[in-house]
Amino acid sequence: MNALAAGFIFEVRLLRRSFDEMMVLVTAPLMTLILLSITEHAGRTDLAPYAVLAPALIALWTIALFTSGEIIERERQNGSLEPLVATPVAIGSVITGQILAVTLLSLVGFAESWLAAWAAFGIVVPIVHPTAFTAALVATAFAMAGTASVMSSVFVLSRSVRAYQNSLSYPFFVLGGVMVPVALLPGWIEPLSRAVFLSWSADLLRDSLTPEPVTNLVARTGVILALGTAGFLIGLVLLRRALDRLRRTGTIGVA
Amino acid sequence: MTALDGVDLVVPAGEVHGLLGPNGAGKTTLCKILSTVLLPTSGHASVGGHDVVRETADVRRIIGIVFGGERGLYTRLTARQNLEFWAAMYGLRGRTLRRRVDAMLSQIGLAERADDRVEGFSRGMKQRLHLARGLIGDPQVVLLDEPTTGMDPVAAREFRTLVGELRDDGRTVLLTTHDMAEAEAVCDRVTLIDNGRLLATERPAALSSWISTYSRVDARDVPAERVPKLIGELRDIPGVTAVRAVQPSGIRVETDAADAAPQVVRHLLDSGINSVATSTPDLEEVYLHIIGERGLRVSR
Amino acid sequence: MLPRDLLAPFRIIRYSAANAWADMWVMFTPASWTFGYLSRLLTQVIFFALIGVLLDSPELVRFLFIGNAVVFMAFEAFISVATTTWERRQGTLPLLVAAPLPLWPVFVGRSVQWLPTGLLSSSAALFVLGPFFGVTWRLPQALAVIAALLVIGVSMYCMALVFGALVLAAMEMRNMVYNVATTVMMMICGVMVPLTFWPDWVGAVANAVPLTHGLAAIRALAEPSAVAPIAGEVVANLLVALGIGAIWMIAAAVLLERLAGIGRRSGSIEFAA
Repeated sequence: MNALAAGFIFEVRLLRRSFDEMMVLVTAPLMTLILLSITEHAGRTDLAPYAVLAPALIALWTIALFTSGEIIERERQNGSLEPLVATPVAIGSVITGQILAVTLLSLVGFAESWLAAWAAFGIVVPIVHPTAFTAALVATAFAMAGTASVMSSVFVLSRSVRAYQNSLSYPFFVLGGVMVPVALLPGWIEPLSRAVFLSWSADLLRDSLTPEPVTNLVARTGVILALGTAGFLIGLVLLRRALDRLRRTGTIGVA
Repeated sequence: MTALDGVDLVVPAGEVHGLLGPNGAGKTTLCKILSTVLLPTSGHASVGGHDVVRETADVRRIIGIVFGGERGLYTRLTARQNLEFWAAMYGLRGRTLRRRVDAMLSQIGLAERADDRVEGFSRGMKQRLHLARGLIGDPQVVLLDEPTTGMDPVAAREFRTLVGELRDDGRTVLLTTHDMAEAEAVCDRVTLIDNGRLLATERPAALSSWISTYSRVDARDVPAERVPKLIGELRDIPGVTAVRAVQPSGIRVETDAADAAPQVVRHLLDSGINSVATSTPDLEEVYLHIIGERGLRVSR
Repeated sequence: MLPRDLLAPFRIIRYSAANAWADMWVMFTPASWTFGYLSRLLTQVIFFALIGVLLDSPELVRFLFIGNAVVFMAFEAFISVATTTWERRQGTLPLLVAAPLPLWPVFVGRSVQWLPTGLLSSSAALFVLGPFFGVTWRLPQALAVIAALLVIGVSMYCMALVFGALVLAAMEMRNMVYNVATTVMMMICGVMVPLTFWPDWVGAVANAVPLTHGLAAIRALAEPSAVAPIAGEVVANLLVALGIGAIWMIAAAVLLERLAGIGRRSGSIEFAA
């Protein structure tokens, strides 16, 4: 547990000094304005929750992709990966703590989006079902951290996968129904979408912002948590593989 | 590629043991194996009685490792924050952690700069912080891999004092280096390694004798007409292995006996040659001499 | 500033461009460009065009599709904001300043490799994805679209040079500048909503961006109505785009030479960043 906390504190301190990691948080409110301009121009104020939620989820994922996803690679380039391996503490816990710090910080995107909507359009999106919203948000953050741990290990295991890092954004925003719900997408996409926690999170969060009662809250939150747990497990397996390779060959990844 | 081959070495507790060898000899590989960062492909290694492969966690609890150079610190954080992180990595927490970090900072002389960011530190300060990082877990066994790389002489000397303190604390130290003088100054025993193989283990005094044994003497500003005669005379001195003229007006003498160099110098001075200098061989030359001419010598 | 040898700038541009082309292929392989970069761009277009489905409006789908496909041309031209700084980082800047010929042609040529790739990206989006989103082209229109894309690319490149010159003074901001500038472009230049949606002053700013006019031209070309009435509108928009681009270009040249002068006086031109 201490390793987790140590990783968390460490990452918070590091993030405070290197703001360009969080550049997404500068463009996120602009994205809110873009999406809101579309819905407002069409006269659909009822869709404001969609326009405010999407940029927050986009920010969450993007930061995970480019910051959390680079944590292990960062240690490797810094020359501190091997000393970390040589410590008695479980390196997976440390990295998880670091990822949690990044994830929590990226939740600021939600606040920014709400603020941008109010500042530019005078729109305040009410959180109609606060319990559902909180549950969904916590589960989403957990699932994002789990997915980020997969990213972190994969990017250090395979240099060629890392080359595609940039293209792992918008495909997931479409698949995840971040702005346009999965229900409106072609039917054959649905199985793919449902494998990505974003689709469940987006639907649940949207439901918590609309007047109708939220259905199956527990089950849907459970799915998000399950997908997140799966992410953590896969991430751990991959991390072990990466460290195993490091210990056997002296290098951690392949080109 | 085989980095280490047939290494068979025992370092008793409380000893400062030097591993001396040129670059690429396998020193870093050995350190990595001992610190559980690298798995050996065959053979066993144990630290403090724990096998590095099967009792990894136990080994990690008792070792501290310091790699030379500047990488490995988090430059955007302060010295204190760096040490706090690593202290946590060694299982420290709460007040114990803070106290150990404070003590360490004082010990390495960075207490005043503790809350400054590492990126502003000089090279020497970074190296001291590296050392602190390796010692923060209060390790029984300390692995120092080329720790004085790039250090200026003053810092290197301070470092030697520190190694002495480690010995006084009762810790076991394995120090790798390619600097013979350093190995001699600091270690109880020294093992020579080259191309992944152990060559010999010696007491430092033996190193000194090698250094003086294989000394060379250079003479400058020798009048041209006297060169051939001098060369002949010098060749007759026992222990001289080679004499040759060096442009534009010098003579170089190589020796392989401990007292040969002083005799050569005396002869030159007596002959009225005043520009005389002796130099000590570097590690490569010593190795060449030992391996090439004398074969392996093994003594424990 | 005007060289005696009038052809010299063009030669310089050509050599600088060759340098730029080589740089590009260090970053990408054809595979990673296609499946990585391009596929992401195409999904981005899809992401925004689908919003029209959410709003149950086929015209909106077409509107968003065209806007977001065309905007890539502008984005690629703007990448030069970031890459122009490579001269400074590589340490070649002082050498260039010390050379007898003016500086600005080097920078003009330094980032042109993005223009053909931008053309490819936007064309792929418009022509390959178009039919799926209800946007089809007849051949004359398609050719005109390509011409319009080129106009957008060139004129936006000129605008990007000014930003690139400014960013030379604060290199750590280059990614921030690029991201903010391109996002704002998406917002106000008629990509997502017509200019009339925003307040007048925002519209005025948007009109200073060549993309706004180039995009208007392409939207006119996408209309399935008769060719002749719109030809005038298209040509007018493209000429305005070029004109504005030329103004940005002059501004860039002046700015670069002035920065070089300031750098010389203050000693801030280093050999390595």
